[in-house]
Amino acid sequence: MLQRLSRRAVLLAGCAGVLVAPKGRAATPDSRGRKLIVVILRGAADGLAILPKIDDPDIEAYRGLLVDRNAAPLSDGFALHSAMPTLAAMYRSGEAAFVPAFGGPYRERSHFEAQDLLECGEVRNVVADGWLNRALQRAPGGYSAVSIGPAQPLILRGDAQNVSSWSPAVLPEASDDTIVRLMDLYETDPVLKQALSAALGADMVAGGMAMDSMGGRGGPAQYVQQFEAAGRFLAQPDGPEIAVVSLEGWDTHTQQNQMLRQRLAALDNAIRRLRETLGEIWKTSALIAVSEFGRTVRVNGGQGTDHGTGGLAILAGGAVKGGRMLGDWPTLKAAALFEGRDLMPTVESRSIFKGLLRDHLGWTTRDLNGFIFPDSAAVPPAGGLV
Amino acid sequence: MTRLMGAIAATRFGLGARPGEINDAASDPRAWLKAQIRPDAALIPPGELMSSKQVLEARVDGLLGQRRSGEEDKVRPSANPAEEVQKAVLQQVQREAREGLQKEIEARSRHAAITPDPFAERWVRFWSNHFTVAARNAQMIGLVGPFEREAIRPHVFGRFETLLAASSFHPAMLTYLDAARSVGPSTVAARQRDVGLNENLAREILELHTMGVGSGYDQADIIEFAKALTGWTVGSPLTARLASLGMEAAGARAARGARARQAARRRILEQIGEAVFVEELHEPGPRKVLGIVYSGSAEQQAERILRDLSSNPATARHIAFKLARHFVSDTPPASATKKLEDAYLRSEGDLSVLAGAVIDLDEAWGAQPQKFKCPEELLISASRATGSQTTFGGAPRQIYVSLAQQPFTAPSPAGWPDDTASWSGADAMKKRLEWANAVSRRMVRGEAPTSFLDQALADLASKRTRDAVARAESAEQGMTIALMSPEFQRR
Repeated sequence: MLQRLSRRAVLLAGCAGVLVAPKGRAATPDSRGRKLIVVILRGAADGLAILPKIDDPDIEAYRGLLVDRNAAPLSDGFALHSAMPTLAAMYRSGEAAFVPAFGGPYRERSHFEAQDLLECGEVRNVVADGWLNRALQRAPGGYSAVSIGPAQPLILRGDAQNVSSWSPAVLPEASDDTIVRLMDLYETDPVLKQALSAALGADMVAGGMAMDSMGGRGGPAQYVQQFEAAGRFLAQPDGPEIAVVSLEGWDTHTQQNQMLRQRLAALDNAIRRLRETLGEIWKTSALIAVSEFGRTVRVNGGQGTDHGTGGLAILAGGAVKGGRMLGDWPTLKAAALFEGRDLMPTVESRSIFKGLLRDHLGWTTRDLNGFIFPDSAAVPPAGGLV
Repeated sequence: MTRLMGAIAATRFGLGARPGEINDAASDPRAWLKAQIRPDAALIPPGELMSSKQVLEARVDGLLGQRRSGEEDKVRPSANPAEEVQKAVLQQVQREAREGLQKEIEARSRHAAITPDPFAERWVRFWSNHFTVAARNAQMIGLVGPFEREAIRPHVFGRFETLLAASSFHPAMLTYLDAARSVGPSTVAARQRDVGLNENLAREILELHTMGVGSGYDQADIIEFAKALTGWTVGSPLTARLASLGMEAAGARAARGARARQAARRRILEQIGEAVFVEELHEPGPRKVLGIVYSGSAEQQAERILRDLSSNPATARHIAFKLARHFVSDTPPASATKKLEDAYLRSEGDLSVLAGAVIDLDEAWGAQPQKFKCPEELLISASRATGSQTTFGGAPRQIYVSLAQQPFTAPSPAGWPDDTASWSGADAMKKRLEWANAVSRRMVRGEAPTSFLDQALADLASKRTRDAVARAESAEQGMTIALMSPEFQRR
């Protein structure tokens, strides 16, 4: 296996031009070992159910059966869903923090538009490149990124080429000779050339990983494998600084308790596995998990909730200044709700993303305000997250 | 030159050329395509496939039949408690649903591989994706295949409003987007049974099926539309109970009331597994959507709103853009969208006129393939090119799973993406290469890769690609390169 990998590495160096983790561009000294894992919970995860504010006087009336009775009390009147014991322990040991009323600038309720805006970092109009890709274009060191899953998410699309994606193989591999010929054929086709060379690079890193062979779009059963794969990439010497993991299936219009418990348990296991896979690097890593928006404060007709506004952001990792709830709680008083139905966000998503990029991996405020999140000077980076 | 146009007709508008198809199309490519605008060309024979009503009846029968026989058994065998029996019956029903889905996928793949009307089939699949339902849970698995055959195929060359109504009021869509369990908030059922309004279907009809996001409706319109849709549900013993509960509390008196309740209940029980309108679950009163007030017949309220949405200019624009993106390029020129928008408005949403307008778009006949095939298109075009009778061994599921596009499992109500960036990520390319490498071994029985390339692409293949295929070290390698060539990966 080793011999095969190195042979492929030679091939790539010879003909590809684009390598996944560019060698010879060492990370800047003060960001060595620091990793950022961005997790997108697609479908609008219900922050009020994951981290209920159990001392809010209105929560019982609104939520009733959708409040987890066994949630673990943390601090400030918040409790964490009982399906997430690992994360609760991390909070208590100072390795996790929450933003309980988190939201982007978007105020409509379309999943697709909201996810696109979350990923491209714009306020109103969706653009074709993502904020992490733009960040790589202005990176303070030789940074690169990987996404776990068969499709490249918008957050990493764009001009920066040091981006790859990976999911497990199910079929026998093509011979090196065939690959060389294809790389030659793609010489005049930049789209296919970049995709194939990035794929080959990613394969070298993940080579030999024993994983569930059912690739494709993941349900909760795959969360653990996805996080493990991310951990393996990040833990490689000269591995990427950034990993993006998309977890689907958070749109709980009906039967929310059951759906959510399953997903939260899987996410909790996945975070534990990530910590194990990263080993020592966990101490210098930060994970942020966000959703495109939150869900209605009221329960709907099917023991579920509908599309809302304010949601939850989860921060975890040894680098995070944890054990804290970040931002104000807007309360569930009728007058405090957005449009009389949703939790009002008190912390803007871009301030958290910018704070992490600046203080964890060294981007400048100037690039963050103007280029990575265009025209966002009015939303300054949140300090002291890491 | 005409061979090039024939190749464009067969690949960009069709599903990839079968042997000889490019020559058939070449003499008059547009006429060859237009001859496929026939209602019957969009149908596939149901064979042994089950209807949605049969699927839902089987589910109800399985459960009720079991309960009845449980009552008759005076001595219940202790080794077989009722709960376990019920579990076993449910598992059986689920197994049959999964097998049914497998049959649906096979029938559909086979049809795509052999149909002589590939443009009609591409047209069906466009609309099927526009009105996505997905097999995301046990309930949906048996319904997704019947939905396409019952709600989509019969209407793709009719009026858009007919297609929209057929989709919106099909049991699969009512279930997938939660309308089947949405109940008017001020009805008796809502007060007594802890059920209420669910906005999901109303929102997605506005956002995805008709006007498109940000086109002028607001949250209040969504809620009003959702209320108009209440009452539309799927006939089941539960719906029948809810309906008679509503009538009882509404104060239907004495013997006449009891008879009426019985009748209502019977009516719904006769329609198990069908879309039904149950007035007792409908939010009473007039509704105001996009400034228009809908009063009068409760049953026709939602249908009238759908009709008005169909003729809304935003709907014409939204659909025109999606079609132009599908047939021209990821970023189609405004001229193409405009022509389709005009055709839609002029014909009042006549989809056969719109199909003709798509074929007439000069913008869609450029020599350079612009659209990156999604995995399903790639698989279908490969099997068509070999003249195969099916999509690779009749067991395509594993291949579809590995290429991340298993039929009927779109990740969201927005359907499968229709742009290059979504399908050309590094990992996706790796999976395509693995697939090409695996199938090329099976495809080269007797066929030279160079003649495969000519059958499949004719003048669309560049010299560079022809040379690369011709110089391959083996027939298998040549076939892999042909399948992975920039021209075969696109249409």
